[in-house]
Amino acid sequence: MKSEELKNQDYKYGFTTEIENFQAPKGLSEKTIRFISEIKKEPKWMLDWRLKAFHRLKVLKEPNWQKPKYPKINYQDLYYYSAPKSMKDKPKSLDEVDPKLIETYNKLGIPLNEQKKLSGVAVDAVFDSVSVATTFKGELDKKGIIFCPISEAIQKHPDLVKKYLGSVIPISDHYFATLNSAVFTDGSFVYIPPNTRCPMELSTYFRINASETGQFERTLIIADKGSYVSYLEGCTAPMRDENQLHAANVELVALDDAEIKYSTVQNWYPGDKDGVGGIYNFVTKRGACRGKNSKISWTQVETGSAITWKYPSCILQGDNSVGEFYSIAITNNHQKADTGTKMIHLGKNTKSKIISKGISAGQADNTYRGLVDIGAKAKNSRNYTQCDSLLMGNKCGAHTVPYIRNKNSSSTVEHEATTSKINEDQLFYCNQRGLNQEEAVSLIVNGFCKEVLQQLPMEFAVEAQKLVSISLEGSVG
Amino acid sequence: MEKLFNIDLKKIPYSNDKEVEDRKKNLELFLKGGFPNKKNENWKFSDLSLIISKNFKNITNNYDYKFDKKIEPINDFDHNKIILVNGSFKSCDFQFEERGKIKAERLKSFKDFENESKNDLDYLNKALSIGGFNLEVKQNYKCKKPIIIYNYFTTNLNNKIINNSNKIKLSQNSELTLIEYNICEKSKFIKNTYEKISIDKGAILKSIILQKTKNNGYFYKNISGIQDYNSSYQNFILSSGLKFSKIEIDIKLEKEKSSCYILSGINLSKDEHQEIKTQINHLAPNCKSYQKIKNVLENDSVGVYQGKIFVKDIAQKTDAYQLSKALILNDQAEFNAKPELEIYADDVKCSHGSTSGSIDEEAIHYLMTRGIKLIEAKKLLIKGFLNEIFDNVPEEKIRIFLEKSIAEQIDEIR
Repeated sequence: MKSEELKNQDYKYGFTTEIENFQAPKGLSEKTIRFISEIKKEPKWMLDWRLKAFHRLKVLKEPNWQKPKYPKINYQDLYYYSAPKSMKDKPKSLDEVDPKLIETYNKLGIPLNEQKKLSGVAVDAVFDSVSVATTFKGELDKKGIIFCPISEAIQKHPDLVKKYLGSVIPISDHYFATLNSAVFTDGSFVYIPPNTRCPMELSTYFRINASETGQFERTLIIADKGSYVSYLEGCTAPMRDENQLHAANVELVALDDAEIKYSTVQNWYPGDKDGVGGIYNFVTKRGACRGKNSKISWTQVETGSAITWKYPSCILQGDNSVGEFYSIAITNNHQKADTGTKMIHLGKNTKSKIISKGISAGQADNTYRGLVDIGAKAKNSRNYTQCDSLLMGNKCGAHTVPYIRNKNSSSTVEHEATTSKINEDQLFYCNQRGLNQEEAVSLIVNGFCKEVLQQLPMEFAVEAQKLVSISLEGSVG
Repeated sequence: MEKLFNIDLKKIPYSNDKEVEDRKKNLELFLKGGFPNKKNENWKFSDLSLIISKNFKNITNNYDYKFDKKIEPINDFDHNKIILVNGSFKSCDFQFEERGKIKAERLKSFKDFENESKNDLDYLNKALSIGGFNLEVKQNYKCKKPIIIYNYFTTNLNNKIINNSNKIKLSQNSELTLIEYNICEKSKFIKNTYEKISIDKGAILKSIILQKTKNNGYFYKNISGIQDYNSSYQNFILSSGLKFSKIEIDIKLEKEKSSCYILSGINLSKDEHQEIKTQINHLAPNCKSYQKIKNVLENDSVGVYQGKIFVKDIAQKTDAYQLSKALILNDQAEFNAKPELEIYADDVKCSHGSTSGSIDEEAIHYLMTRGIKLIEAKKLLIKGFLNEIFDNVPEEKIRIFLEKSIAEQIDEIR
C-alpha cells in the first residue's frame, strides 16, 4: 500500500447510520432486565437466569487490577437495549430488512445480499443489540447445523441453550461477565451436530451504532462429537467522543474429537489522536475442551478500541485436548490493551501453544497477561509460549506479565519473551531497495506478525494485513 | 484457640521512649493486616499467613538467650568475620584488612529506613527490629579477603520471631565479597530481615547467601539496593534448607553503566517452600541486569520465582535478561513463576525465558547404559543443572566450597 493511501485511511468505519432506534429505558435495574426479556419473548427460565445474574452483580465489585485505568463507568447512564425500529417485527428474509441497514453493511464491506450468492461465508449481522440478518440458512439446515441469533435459539432450541449457556462462563464469574449474563441482548448461537464438518466459515459482524449504548452480546458455540467449525467475528463502531462499553461473553464447547477455530478481527473505534472517545472492549471469551482429543484455537487481531481488556482462554478438560492462542495486539496513539490468554490444563496429555505479538506506538500501552496452569493430574502435558513485543518510539510501553504454574513432574512448560524495536539494519535494507520508511515498517511489522496472520482464514487474512498497516499509520518518523 | 501473637515491645533492648512510640504505631499497622496472604498479588504463590498459622502459635519476641557455643569457622579459605547471634550484632574481626578501611558496628539508627514500608512485614520489622550490623567500606578500598557473616541461632527459639535490619555501604571504587552463612539449631522460628544496600560509583559488591544445614527456619528477607554510576552488584542465592524462605530484592539502577546480577541455585525437599522475588528498576541508560534462577524440586516442595524488570523511558540501551528453570522430580512438587517485563523505552534488549519440566529421561538412559545407577545418574544431572550457577563465582576457593556444600545437599536426595 502506498503511503499516500495510508495517510487517507483514518478510521473508515466511523460513520453513523441515521436510523430510528427503539431503546429500553436508561439504567440498569430489574425493570430493564424484565423489559429486555419481555421484548425478546423469552421463557421464564431465561428471565430467572438473568435475574439471578443481576442479583449476583449487586455483590460483585468491578475488578481493578488491570493495567489500563479508565474513569468510572456510570452503569445507570447507559441504554441496555437498542434496536433499529424496523426490526421490531422481525423480518422473515433479507428483502424485508430496512434498506438503510443493508446499505450500512455494504459500506462496511459486508454485502449481505451478495454473500448469499457467493459461496463461502455465512453471516450473522448484529446491529447494536439485535441480530439483523443471517445468510445461508437453508444450506446449513440441510446438514443439521444450527446458526442463528441466540434469542431465536432460546425459543427454538431451549434444551441446548439450557444445557450449555453459562457452563463455561458461570453466572457469577466476574463483574463484566455477570453484567453480560443479566442484560445480554443478542448474539450468535452455533450448534454443529456429531461428525459434521461445517461446509463454510460462519461469521458474525458486530456493529455499535446508537450512542450512550452498551453492547452486550453473547455467543455460544457447541461442536458436538467429531465435528469442526471455523467461526469469524468482526466488529466496528462509529466515531463518537464518548466512551462506549462493549462487554460480550463468548462460550465455546468442544466435545470428543471436535474442533473449533475462532477468529476475531476487532476494529472498534479506537478514539481520536488525543485519546478522546473509543470503545471499552471488556470481553470474556472462554472455551472448554470437554471431550477427548478436542481442540480449540483462538486467533485474534486487536487493532481497535480505546481499551482492550480480554483473555480468550481454554480449559483443557479432555485427555489429549489442544488449546491454541494466536494474537496480534496493536496499540497506537492513546490506545491501551491488556490482553492474553489462560490455558488451564486438567486432562492428561493436553497441549497448548501461545503466540502473542504486541506492537505499541504513539503513547500507547500494551500488556500481555497470561496464565499457564498445569494441574497435578495433567500428566505429560506441554505448553509453549512466545510473546514478543515491538516498541515504536519512547512514549509507549510494552509489558509482559505471564503466570506459570506447574504441578507435576511429567509436564513441560516453556516460556519465551522478547522486547525490542524495529531493527535499523532491516529498515536500512528496505530503504535501500526503494521502499519508503512507512512501507518498510509495514513490511517488517507484517513479517513480525506473520505467524499469527497465517492462522487466519483467507477472507480475514487480507483484511487483517491491511489493518495492521493502517493502525500504525503516522507512527514512524 | 490460642493467640497467634504475644508480643511485648518492652523486651526490645536499647529503646528510648520516642522509639517505643514509633514501634507501637508500626506494630498496630502490622496487626491490622497480619501476615500477608495470597490475596496480596506479591504473595500470590506463597500464602505466608496460612503457612505461619499452620506451624506457629503464641509467637513471642523474647530475646533473652545465652550464647556459649564455640565458633567453628570455615577452614576452606581465609576470611574476615562478622558474628551475629539471633540477628543481633555480637562481634567482628577484620584481621586481613587494613585498619580503618572497613567499619562494622551494631546498627543503631533506623532513621534511613523510614517511609519505605511496602508490605506488612516491613511494619513488623520496624516495630520489632533489634538492629543487625552496619557495614561500611571506605573509598577506593578493595577488600583483600571476603567477609563471612556467621549468623548463629540459639536452641531456645521455638515460636519466636526475630526482626533485624542491616545496612551495607560501599563507598566509591571499593570492593567487597560478603557471604551470609546461616547456622541454625533445630528450633522452629521466624526471621524477618530488612537490608539496605548502597553501592557508590565504581564499587563492586558480591553477596552470597548460604545455609549450613537443613533447619526449621521461616525466613523473610527484604533487600533494597541503590546503585550509582558503573557499580556492580552480584547476588548468589544458595539458601536451600529452610522450611520457608522468601527473598525480595528491589534494586534501583540509578546511574548509567551500573549492573546487577542475581543468580540462584536451590534444591528443595520435603515441606520446603522458597520464593525469590525481584524487581530490577532500570532508571538510567546503558545499564545491565541479568537474572538466572534454578530450582530443583523434590517431594512436596514449592518453588516460586517472581521477577520484574522495569525500564523507565529514559533508560535506553538497557540490556536485561531473566531466566528461570525448574526441575520437577515429584508429582507433589510445584513450580510457579511470574517473570514480568514493564518497558517504556524502545531501544532496549529485554528478554525472559522460563521453563519447567522433569529430568531428561534420555540423559538418564544414556548414563545408565554406561553402568551408572539410576539414583547416581539423577544426582549427576542435578549437580550439572545447579553447578552452572557457581561458574559465575570468580574466586576458585569459594567456588569449590560452594560446590562442596551443594554436593552434600544433593547427596541427601533419595
